[in-house]
Amino acid sequence: MTLAETQALFHAAVTRAEGDRTRELERCFAGTAGLQALDRVGIYADMYLWRLVDALREDYPKLAALLGDEGFYALTEVYVRAHPSEHHDLGQLGRRLPAYVRELPAARPDLADLAALEWARAEVFFEAEARAVGREALAVLSPERFLGARLRLAPALRLLVLEHGVVPLWRALEGGQPPPPPAPGTCAVAVWREGFEVFHASLDLDEALALEAAASGDPLPRVCAAFARRDDPAGAAFAALSGWLKAGWIAGVEAGGRGEDRP
Amino acid sequence: MAFQRTLGHGVGLRTRHFADWLAGPPPPVDFVEAVSENFMAPGGRPLAVLERVRRDVPVVLHGVSLSIGSVDPLSERYLDDLAALAGRIQPAWISDHLCWGTHGGRYLHDLLPLPFTEEALVHVAARVVRVQERLGRRILLENVSSYVTYRDSTMSEWEFLSEVARRADCGILLDVNNVYVSARNHGFDPSAYLAGVAGERVGQLHLAGFSDQGRYLLDAHDHPVAEAVWDLYREAVRRFGAVSTLVEWDERVPPLERLVEESRRAAAVEAEELAPPARRALP
Repeated sequence: MTLAETQALFHAAVTRAEGDRTRELERCFAGTAGLQALDRVGIYADMYLWRLVDALREDYPKLAALLGDEGFYALTEVYVRAHPSEHHDLGQLGRRLPAYVRELPAARPDLADLAALEWARAEVFFEAEARAVGREALAVLSPERFLGARLRLAPALRLLVLEHGVVPLWRALEGGQPPPPPAPGTCAVAVWREGFEVFHASLDLDEALALEAAASGDPLPRVCAAFARRDDPAGAAFAALSGWLKAGWIAGVEAGGRGEDRP
Repeated sequence: MAFQRTLGHGVGLRTRHFADWLAGPPPPVDFVEAVSENFMAPGGRPLAVLERVRRDVPVVLHGVSLSIGSVDPLSERYLDDLAALAGRIQPAWISDHLCWGTHGGRYLHDLLPLPFTEEALVHVAARVVRVQERLGRRILLENVSSYVTYRDSTMSEWEFLSEVARRADCGILLDVNNVYVSARNHGFDPSAYLAGVAGERVGQLHLAGFSDQGRYLLDAHDHPVAEAVWDLYREAVRRFGAVSTLVEWDERVPPLERLVEESRRAAAVEAEELAPPARRALP
């Protein structure tokens, strides 16, 4: 057999692709009285699946806790067959799991949203560092330049808009408490990292729209316009921006327009 | 030769020990080995820890995803990430495994053995040359534990490994535990492996613990180094002299002190084996 043929055969056996390859495998590999060739290949096939399922369990600990060992294994086994690893980093294996779960008939309708939250937490854990700016970055802007200013958000920040409120579910699983029933309804969640620790919190939907606008590079007036329906839009925008600054979500302010900044 | 520059005795950098590395003075180890793929992210705690460790002790990078023996094209994305990490960390050297682990662009995340044939030899040697050109340095390739025997093989594993190293002008990371595990699984003499491998190219040794599965030994890295592997390590030291040696422990990882203890044992074994006969302690 050529090297290419050998690897195609071995790969199919390890991934337990459909089809009977017994004769080819016995022609390719030698066994011993104590351990036949097929058993030897089987060692690799068993380890392949266990390794990938374990890697997914690391990124989705709450989903694994909710589904239990058998349920999580069953889910991830079919997922791995549908989406084998295409990246040298095993930590990337789970990036399609939330979307995959969303397409499956599931015991709970909020599984995909819980998975999305867990994946966002895994992603921000490894994101690039960015020095957060303080209030002075906005305070020094002249009114003219404030109107054209745009925010540069920290890389380790994600905004999720989900179909279920999963923050209480995540908290219950974290504390080893019984999971609350699914809570349908649009829910926005911010996920971010401070230092080496990952946090998440629910956001009001208008604040989520403002954050989305900021992430898209909209100037500050359009970001603040998301709060137009509040009783005190300016106060709400001020409070939101203050909160973003405090949480370290803003990595830079690109001043626009003309005019001198305040000393 | 450059392959013989010894750093001493080290340990692998594992997540469980991150807090220990950050908390206080570095433990008494001569170098640290980091699994390259675990630190290729743009940021976060692992990379910050590695950079901190690098300030205190030499670091070597040890990859698991190069897939040097695959018939797939070499992954430019992987080599880019590896080159960037090497630029950031400035490792003493970079190693990976003499194996394959990708097919059709898909990663098995395993270290599958190659058939020991002339075709594989030519294929692997050419790819090692390309990787070394890309990284601007020679790499070390490690022998893997294996459970299958290819009927097409025309030479022994140590002949294959040595010939790849000679043709590609690369170094050898000789995993003494893997030699022992494969010897038991395939029924060859581990001493013959040590005698036959190109000793002048051995730049690093690995030690680890295996798991006895009854019908075969599994390279599980979840136990202390077995006594039989310590004996083989003594033989390796007598044959190759002082070579940088690292203890791997990846599953059921013990406290850092225990891992360091295992590494210090390797240092003691080396010192004992290399001591002039007159100065050896009497039994």
